[in-house]
Amino acid sequence: MPPVLRGENVKRKEKITTFVFILPWLVSFCIFVLYPIVFSICVSMTDYSGLTWDMRFVGFSNYARAFKDRVFLKALSNTFLFVLITVPATTVISLFLAVLLTSGIKFKRLFQAGYFLPSVISMVVISMIWLYIYSATGPLNTLLRSLGFDVPARSWLASERTALGSIMVMDVWSAVGYYTVLFVAGLQSLPLQLYEAAKIDGATKWQIFKRITLPLLKPTILFVVSINSIRSFQIFTEIFTLTGGGPANSTQTIVHYLYDVSFRKFEMGYGSAIAYVLFFIVLAITLLQRKMLKGEQL
Amino acid sequence: MRVLIYALLIFFLVISLLPTFLMFSTAFVPEGDLFNRTIEKIMSDFEAPRTVLLTRVRPIGKTFELVKEEQNSFARLDPVKGVKGLAFSMGSSDINRLSHVVFKLRSSSTLRMVVSFKDIKENVERFAEIVIDPIPRWKTMRVDVEAKKLKLDVLHVSQLRIEIEGDGILDIDDVTLVNRYPTLYNFVKILREDYFGRYLLNSTIVSVCSVLGNLFFCSLVAYAFARKQFRMKELLFSLVLSTMMIPPQVTIIPTFILMRKLNLINTYWALILPNLVTPFGIFLMRQYFEQLPTELDQAARMDGAGDFRIFWNILLPLSKPALSVLGINTFVLTWNDVFYPLILTTSREMRTVQIGLALYQKLNVFTWPTLMAASTIAGLPIIIVFLIFEKRIISGILEGAIKS
Repeated sequence: MPPVLRGENVKRKEKITTFVFILPWLVSFCIFVLYPIVFSICVSMTDYSGLTWDMRFVGFSNYARAFKDRVFLKALSNTFLFVLITVPATTVISLFLAVLLTSGIKFKRLFQAGYFLPSVISMVVISMIWLYIYSATGPLNTLLRSLGFDVPARSWLASERTALGSIMVMDVWSAVGYYTVLFVAGLQSLPLQLYEAAKIDGATKWQIFKRITLPLLKPTILFVVSINSIRSFQIFTEIFTLTGGGPANSTQTIVHYLYDVSFRKFEMGYGSAIAYVLFFIVLAITLLQRKMLKGEQL
Repeated sequence: MRVLIYALLIFFLVISLLPTFLMFSTAFVPEGDLFNRTIEKIMSDFEAPRTVLLTRVRPIGKTFELVKEEQNSFARLDPVKGVKGLAFSMGSSDINRLSHVVFKLRSSSTLRMVVSFKDIKENVERFAEIVIDPIPRWKTMRVDVEAKKLKLDVLHVSQLRIEIEGDGILDIDDVTLVNRYPTLYNFVKILREDYFGRYLLNSTIVSVCSVLGNLFFCSLVAYAFARKQFRMKELLFSLVLSTMMIPPQVTIIPTFILMRKLNLINTYWALILPNLVTPFGIFLMRQYFEQLPTELDQAARMDGAGDFRIFWNILLPLSKPALSVLGINTFVLTWNDVFYPLILTTSREMRTVQIGLALYQKLNVFTWPTLMAASTIAGLPIIIVFLIFEKRIISGILEGAIKS
């Protein structure tokens, strides 16, 4: 065999090997990412039900319908409200805990693990626990009554006024530990020299935190805010297990409505359109975060 | 200042652990809930008027005599007058939770006493026979109940019966059923009556397969990205990373349609295949491989080893820390996943434990102790994994965060 040809053979073999190595990802990407994304766009422009194969092209009318659909708009505003309240609350509490944890205390890992525990427990289990806590004769009402408050004997999740707020409290509780861990890592990577210098200059702790820690921690804060927002926009499990969107759609969210529309009412064309609205929201947050991070580095 | 910091830390620690603790402690309550536990159930203290009493307590034989003595009233059984015993109505109760029955006695002569249960199908089974010597003063008696040894329908017991044999007068008062507390029965009940055993099996199969798949396939792909040179490498890799950002809800409808077309709904394949190669895993393994020295593979290549040999025999054994981070994180994520399993399974037998728990609460009449026992079953495996591998789980999260 001529040596030149052998070289070609080796090259081709190299290519084939590389291809075989990335093949699992390629297959999985095409089937579970590329195909769904493309197919979703197509379905979102039809009146496909999901039950039969009948479908008719309807253009953008599913999207137009979404923004006229009272329930969807309620879901949208609930989701935004949820994100706008829980994300800042979670960020502030977890940053506060992280600052406490990195202030040179003993048993740091023990505390950190304790705070983190709720974030490994599944949302369904967490929801069950809080379903009990919020129930009419549950621990929360028992506590409030023993403190002398006159609380009505009904579940906190059964009233339009308190349901969404109760789920927000639960969500903040379950998420804080996760972000605390991220902030602790962020705080520990900050340069110590600056702190030494500030101390020599006689700066107070609050001044140090405001003038040095916060600006340096900005990339971490941005990252935490953006992944938490993305996660919160997708809130589903809590709603599905605790309230099913009720009472009177007061806890309806985008993804829960998507589930309702696609898999209960079987309007998958409309469901796909809602999924795409969600996709664009998430995309916008990602791009916004990237832009802000780039601005930081310049 | 120090004290304040510790006080705050402990305060938050209590808040973050208390709900989970409530779940555990409620799971062991026999009836009621944690703050209103039903441990003792008074069948009758014979203080109510006779007509009210008769709705709960029936005489066996002729009607019983209600005696009032000072402040206390009680029932008098006298076989000579035709009152052989008492039957206490229990509705249709599950007696597995019972520990024992307690009552107060007084008797004038030696008697035999028989205690039995009757189920809703009218089967009567005695579980204690006691010979009573004359007791002039009130004495509390305790009779243990061992539901496991009984042959009647212990889930639906309608009556507790106390009968006497022999001549003499027996006074009886304050008949009380006492539950076992703490009890493991809620767990037994959940595993036996719902399919929680099966759910656990499903979750384990799906999680273990996803973990193995991720460990193998993600490292395979990561090897190519770390060690091979090919066209569009960086473009493809940024494609890998950007798929991390796509919300799973966007892809669920087409995936559902595909799985139904392939007849894979309600199979393990539907739950495992979409999770087999994850972008996070590829990212994590590539990071790790890239910091391993290339001299090792070059030396192996000299010895004539191919790419797969280098990957399998050299890089993988050196990557145990990264592999364990990936494995544990995949396990936790798959075990806790809700959205995909909810949509890709419809039959009861194929539910994962999360879906089983969510639907158990939605579709059944539940009591708080059984629901908390079910939650414990679904949550405990992950809590144990966390307690063992806390360090690895946290470092997995930090690895994922570094990419920002």
